[in-house]
Amino acid sequence: MSASPRPRARRRALNGAAVLFCVLWAFPVYWMVDTAFKPYGDILSTTPRFLPFPFTLANFTDAIHKQGFLTDLANSAVVTCAVVLLSVVLAFFAAVALTRFRFLGRRGFLIAVLVVQMVPQPALLIPVFLSLKSANLLNSLLGLVLTYVAMVLPFTIWTLRGFLHGIPVELEEAAMLDGAGRMTIIRSVLLPLVMPGVIATSVFAFITAWNDYLFAYVLMKDQSHYTLPVWLVSFSSSTGTDYGGLIAASTLFALPVVVFFMLIQRRLVAGMTAGAVKD
Amino acid sequence: MATSTAPRPARGTARAAAPARPPRRRRSGASLPYLLLLPAAAVLALVLGYPLVRLVLISFQDYGLRALFTGVVPWAGWANYRAVLSDPQLLPVLLRTAGFCAALVAGTLVIGMLVALMMGALGRRMRTAVTLCLITAWAVPNVASTLVWQWLFQPVYGVVNWLLTQTGLVGDLVQHDWTTSAASAFLLVWLLVVWQSVPFVALTLYAGLSQIPRTYYEAAALDGAGPVTVFRVITLPFLRPILGLVAILSVIWDFNVFNQIWILTQGGPNQGTTTLGIWSFTTAFSSNSLGRGAAIAVVSVLLLLALTAVYVRRLVRSGEEL
Amino acid sequence: MRRRSLAAAACAAAAALSLTACGSSSATHGAAAAQPAGSRTLTVWLMDGDLSTQATDAINAAFEKATGAKVNVQIQQWANINTKISTALAQNNPPDVIEIGNTDVPLFAATGALSDITADESSMSAGQTWLPGLVGPATVEGKVYAAPLFAGNRAVIYNKTLWAAAGVTTAPTSFTQLTADLDRIRAKNPQPGFSAFNFPGQYWYGALQFVWDAGGQLATESNGRWSGALGTPAAQQGLQAWKTFQNTYSSPASRNVDTKTPDQAAMFASGKTATILDTSINTVLKDNPALKGQIGTFPFPGAAPGQNQPVFLGGSDLGIAAKSPNQDLALAYLKAATSPAVQSSAIVGIDGWTPISTQLIDSTKGSLPPTSTAFFDAAKSSVSTPATPGWATIESDQSINTFFADIATGRKSVAQAAASFDAHLDQALNASQ
Repeated sequence: MSASPRPRARRRALNGAAVLFCVLWAFPVYWMVDTAFKPYGDILSTTPRFLPFPFTLANFTDAIHKQGFLTDLANSAVVTCAVVLLSVVLAFFAAVALTRFRFLGRRGFLIAVLVVQMVPQPALLIPVFLSLKSANLLNSLLGLVLTYVAMVLPFTIWTLRGFLHGIPVELEEAAMLDGAGRMTIIRSVLLPLVMPGVIATSVFAFITAWNDYLFAYVLMKDQSHYTLPVWLVSFSSSTGTDYGGLIAASTLFALPVVVFFMLIQRRLVAGMTAGAVKD
Repeated sequence: MATSTAPRPARGTARAAAPARPPRRRRSGASLPYLLLLPAAAVLALVLGYPLVRLVLISFQDYGLRALFTGVVPWAGWANYRAVLSDPQLLPVLLRTAGFCAALVAGTLVIGMLVALMMGALGRRMRTAVTLCLITAWAVPNVASTLVWQWLFQPVYGVVNWLLTQTGLVGDLVQHDWTTSAASAFLLVWLLVVWQSVPFVALTLYAGLSQIPRTYYEAAALDGAGPVTVFRVITLPFLRPILGLVAILSVIWDFNVFNQIWILTQGGPNQGTTTLGIWSFTTAFSSNSLGRGAAIAVVSVLLLLALTAVYVRRLVRSGEEL
Repeated sequence: MRRRSLAAAACAAAAALSLTACGSSSATHGAAAAQPAGSRTLTVWLMDGDLSTQATDAINAAFEKATGAKVNVQIQQWANINTKISTALAQNNPPDVIEIGNTDVPLFAATGALSDITADESSMSAGQTWLPGLVGPATVEGKVYAAPLFAGNRAVIYNKTLWAAAGVTTAPTSFTQLTADLDRIRAKNPQPGFSAFNFPGQYWYGALQFVWDAGGQLATESNGRWSGALGTPAAQQGLQAWKTFQNTYSSPASRNVDTKTPDQAAMFASGKTATILDTSINTVLKDNPALKGQIGTFPFPGAAPGQNQPVFLGGSDLGIAAKSPNQDLALAYLKAATSPAVQSSAIVGIDGWTPISTQLIDSTKGSLPPTSTAFFDAAKSSVSTPATPGWATIESDQSINTFFADIATGRKSVAQAAASFDAHLDQALNASQ
């Protein structure tokens, strides 16, 4: 609430600015959805049409029937779920270890975790390829899952650690007085309070696994193991770009993420920031 | 919530189902942290640690396609680094990377801050609308958003060119190709990255803002302080830790922007938008000099480390529990 | 409830992991353990947009008839393909047969990724003379590493209706006539964004035709060392001629783009341009089937009377992965694909591509639909890119696209652009791989 004594005019100006902002920020997504429902002739027209009438679902049917959609969707879903679950579980335990205990190598591990986030991902393509080749994990979804988990762990550990910092030790001490052992404390005391942070980092893991093109393309030899981003790129082929199909496919591809975000949006920011704020 | 003693399921179930964890003793004190850390450390070592070591190793080898196929890898010593450091492209690439990163971080932080302030002053319904728009922009995966951006800004068929021409402010832009010059190509990428990065910053800063006690603002109003003073004296100091976190993350992420540049411009025109990441990639995969590409990547990490060293050192030293 | 969710999460993670571990069973039979004869499968990678499904089926049928083994075809996309092929060939169980663009073959032939098929070359070619533009890039120090699959050339595709509306009813046979015709079309269609001849600035395959027509070259080799030749007077003249042509007849928006963004076949199909230079009319017909019967083709006329511009010889070769465990089957596949029967019936008959030998070109020309003869005529005078591994760099880093776009947009003068591109060619073409 504004403390200023000029409420009306200021409020209107502010709302006007907010509306302008919303229009600007939502425009690309609106245009994407609008294009997806337009027939071919209206897409490739020099005068843009802002409402998708005539309305058509042809682009979506083209997209869905494009080769590999269901397989790649299944692969993406499996990989993404596995990455989210695995990274959150591993990072949670690691964060607990890093914040609630003192042990040799703790600081070093933390710094390593921070430093490793700075490596540009494309640079790791061949080294990861060689590493997975030695481990015989090429062309397997497991190898891909582990790759994404490793990419996501540093940020996840860092965020969960920040979050755990904000939880006062007194709560655990009280539980210990009640006779609870270490593992019980972790499960019953820490985990519930950390849930918003867990949600925030799972979002990050979701996006990373869902969105990656380069590693999926190179590490998976067989097309039956490809994920959705690779499928998305196949709309721009040497026989021409199917714009309607491409935009419809992009919409389909973005949909789960947007829905996921919307569902957890209130918890999301709380999770990302609670640790930092208390810092 | 935490002090209740709700009934617990058999302890064995959860642990037995979790993958790759050794059996635990109930009262282990010393080994518990290591055991908790082990799975994460194992995955990191296999998929990030070993490849990183490999990357540094490759940067010292004459690693090309022949090495990839035949496994015969000649040692190159410092040759790759020497080639990279004496490459006439190095300085322009560095300047471009630093400049573009700075422009991205500045843009994201400034716009994010303004949006956060705006959100703080809005009523609940408008604020929810703004939040939803932000979330939508943030959620779109960047492979999809880059393709959509390419479509938005296309010459002749793109809607942005048409809209800009309609405003009459900038003349006839319908045929304008944004990737023609390095400056406008960078602008194109800047718009895309900022569009998707502002939501995180804005929402985070807004969360921080909403934690500042109202009493401070009321006191300032009583003292007759103007908005700029209020911002400088009250808001900024409170937000400092969050701003620091957000800034450091932005620097790291924006320094390594890759997908958007690669899909939109491929580093062109004429290497005009080739940043360190793109340069490393094209050296490795277009020129097939994986050794030199690795050297560039190592240089890039060292640079970023130097840039963020101040923050890292502060973290380590500040008595803050690391 | 919270504890149960952790347990559930852990269980789900374990379940998911075991599922993905099952999905990687390729690891267990990766080394192609002994399989009963007759149930072997050959993995073949083909490129998107090259052969149609029917043509591929024809090759597969011939192969299956000869060997009894099955074929698993996987279609690959062109984006980042060299990275894909490099990493695929570096694995221990690579795909058996790979279709590689003829300009990329030297890269893999010279680095040990493909099997040496010199011993079988004569039995495969069976007396035909394979096109040098296809087999040349696959030959390193006298050894052959890949067999040709098909060739593709470019000819001019024009919209008869739009041309007739401007008063032009016959295809031009000389360059001056072409420009005169295009002037009339330009005058008749003054709307902004319309191109009489859409020629994207990055379209190096087409632009090079002007260089070759003027007698210039991309690069020359002497004593094993390549050097860029775009600074020679002949090449400069050709480049200048191209710049004038491009700037005059193609819209300003096309100066910095390639043929895909925006898609030139789509532009032709929707009437935004009356003429394009391309490898086949199939995409246009797919975009707008109503144009059937309204499309005509002719080879791009050269400056000298009676001659056509030399065209870029595109096409693909089939290579066998050196690490493949099915060398014999892969060879049989190559034999099937290069056999005159399959070439005539499938490559030419179904797809209308140019076959792989001069004899086949002559014998099949008569069976072509009228719109395809122009491509075959153009093939008579074709040039290929330098057959050296370093050429792949020039294509991957898109320096050649930028070179021509620089000239078309005026970012650099013709002489400046040639000087800097020649320097890049000198460095890249001679780099060891």
